[in-house]
Amino acid sequence: MTMLLNVPSIKRRCVSSLAVVCLTVAPMTMVGRAAQEARSHPDISGFWELNFDSRQVPRASLLPSVTRAKIDARLKGDAYAVRWCNLLGVPFVMDPGRPLDIRQGATAIIIAPENSSAPRYLYTNRATHITEDIFDPSTNGDSIAHWEGDTLVVDTVGFHGEHGITAIPGGGYRTEKSRLVERYRLMKDGALLSVTFTWTDPSVFRTPHSYEYRYHRLPATYEPRQWLLCDPYDEERAKFLDPPRPATPARGPIAKE
Amino acid sequence: MRYRVLVFAAFLLPVAAAPFPRTQSPAAGSLRLEGDWVRIDPDGAGSFDGLGASIPPAQLLPGVTAGGGRGGRGRGGRGGGLETQATTPNPEGVPYIVVAQPCAGGGGGRSNGGLLVNPDSGGVHFVEQKDEVIFAGERGGVRHFYLDGRAHPSPWTPTPAGHSVGRYEGNTLVVETTGFTPGGVTGGGVRTPETVLVERFEVSPDGRRLTITYTWTDPKIYQKPHVYSYYFERAPTVSSGGSPVSYALEEWCDAGDPVEKQSIVPPKQIIK
Repeated sequence: MTMLLNVPSIKRRCVSSLAVVCLTVAPMTMVGRAAQEARSHPDISGFWELNFDSRQVPRASLLPSVTRAKIDARLKGDAYAVRWCNLLGVPFVMDPGRPLDIRQGATAIIIAPENSSAPRYLYTNRATHITEDIFDPSTNGDSIAHWEGDTLVVDTVGFHGEHGITAIPGGGYRTEKSRLVERYRLMKDGALLSVTFTWTDPSVFRTPHSYEYRYHRLPATYEPRQWLLCDPYDEERAKFLDPPRPATPARGPIAKE
Repeated sequence: MRYRVLVFAAFLLPVAAAPFPRTQSPAAGSLRLEGDWVRIDPDGAGSFDGLGASIPPAQLLPGVTAGGGRGGRGRGGRGGGLETQATTPNPEGVPYIVVAQPCAGGGGGRSNGGLLVNPDSGGVHFVEQKDEVIFAGERGGVRHFYLDGRAHPSPWTPTPAGHSVGRYEGNTLVVETTGFTPGGVTGGGVRTPETVLVERFEVSPDGRRLTITYTWTDPKIYQKPHVYSYYFERAPTVSSGGSPVSYALEEWCDAGDPVEKQSIVPPKQIIK
């Protein structure tokens, strides 16, 4: 746009100005459309919490190539992420041990945790992912969402293969090839929020791996707690998280690759 | 040819959206705050120190010591205010450390959304819902602006981001925050748990600019309200499915990575 405005031709300047006006108005109009669409669907906004009986997680069917050594390496990476206060990302962020604040806006739904993860943005204003050549893989990936009746369907790709906690409930881990499809649906007049997670990854899972969480709605007056301090330079904390290794492996023999 | 394509696209976009005309209700107008923003340097100050210098100094009461805020200095989420920039030449061959504790989350960094009280150059994002607006930053943390009529809690344990309640005045979101941890404020101001900050989030009529006006008041600290503004533009867009979209980046900072301790501006070396 800057380039257009620098064109000396008056004609081009006029044309450019018109284009600028139209390009300015159009996104606002589309926001209006998104807002109208948002109003016609359930609102999953609220404070949500998992209880001890909120998780239905079957064991994942993993490929033979997912060896004990690979899993142990991932566990080590996950421990590193905790030790150094890294962003932890998906799937951890959906079960962080604290309530989630979910807010449904006109163009995106945000899921804000109370601890060390970036918030998730579920974009409802676009139907395609940011292309791989532009999107930097991240712990939360790139999420786009749409409504199918009363169910919010969220599709996420663009995960980083190593950053954060990569372990997936039920077994396996996320890689840069992982795809996550989530289905959000209110239950019991909005008192519960069911989220079904389905992971696919040609390098990890033999079949799609699905599990369900059911979140309980907290009172609207709930006050989210701000993040507890995570200090990677606290030596006492480091000792606690990195105890001396036992003489024998705690998890049994490591399979050869 | 490029101009023809642009003009065609410019006309096509509103037409595509035509079945859903923009409403004029306050709620629809307020939606324009939602989205992705980056702070700008409208007067060409050239640096965060330069930006800070353009902010009128706080008028403090006699006996009140000025705070250390410097106009939204950068790197808050990574260095956490723990920079140890060398001021003397480094001996030849001796490794140097520019950032002693990168990614420290304890200060204004990743914890608590405190950085968003004084945004730096990292992208910021708003999601607006009728009961709450969430203000999130790419350098970590979120702030919760409650619009549901709740009062500030009492008692309240002070936090870096304080406790915020908001309301709309036309298209302007007005947020009142108190309950801060003690510290400095941009422009040499000071804050305590009793200090009140009022922020006005005002989007320009064309929807492309955001001005946040900060007003700090505290009868025990300020002779008069300490007022200044920050300016933002919509975040740059990329093409997705043929449409321009912006999105939130995720800034990665790994305190365990020794590279994080290095600087892109190394101190002067002694060369024999």
